[in-house]
Amino acid sequence: MRSTHFKTMIFAAALAASLVAGAIRAQQDVKVTHTSLKAGDMAPDFTLLDNQWKQIHLGDYRGKKNVVLAFYVLAFTEG
Amino acid sequence: MAKLEASDAVVFGISIDSPAANNAFAQKIGVTFPLLSDMNRKVLKQYGILKMYNVQKEEYDWAQRTTFVIDKKGVIQSVEEEASAINPNNAVAVCTKLPKK
Repeated sequence: MRSTHFKTMIFAAALAASLVAGAIRAQQDVKVTHTSLKAGDMAPDFTLLDNQWKQIHLGDYRGKKNVVLAFYVLAFTEG
Repeated sequence: MAKLEASDAVVFGISIDSPAANNAFAQKIGVTFPLLSDMNRKVLKQYGILKMYNVQKEEYDWAQRTTFVIDKKGVIQSVEEEASAINPNNAVAVCTKLPKK
């Protein structure tokens, strides 16, 4: 009786583990695009709206400032 | 961030969020640098960092977290992807090594 119980528990644990693994796999189903840009390349110019609806031209900073571009996944997330 | 500004650099955050969402986000987390909206994913494609996410069998594309440091001549000095891009210390180190003028 006791060993049947034990086997059931093992089976349940294995099932739970495989479900969790499946869920993790589903979440990680992403196609990663790595940038082809590397150090030494020219940075492509762009114009984008900032959070004050003001246009920002990357080219305006040439010859004036170093620029750090931090691309993030989505606002309000840990991404 | 103060260190970056001191090294004669400007910082821009970029995502696919709208300017309005970015503004609310900027206020929430208290950032002092501009957050740019790449709503049509133009720059993400230019920089090759659009990443496909499959969520419940639908595909969505958002940015891959990446940090670029660009010098005053418009030349990329460093590229950091994923986890290493979270920590700005490397970007600071790169900027402080760049010529001041």
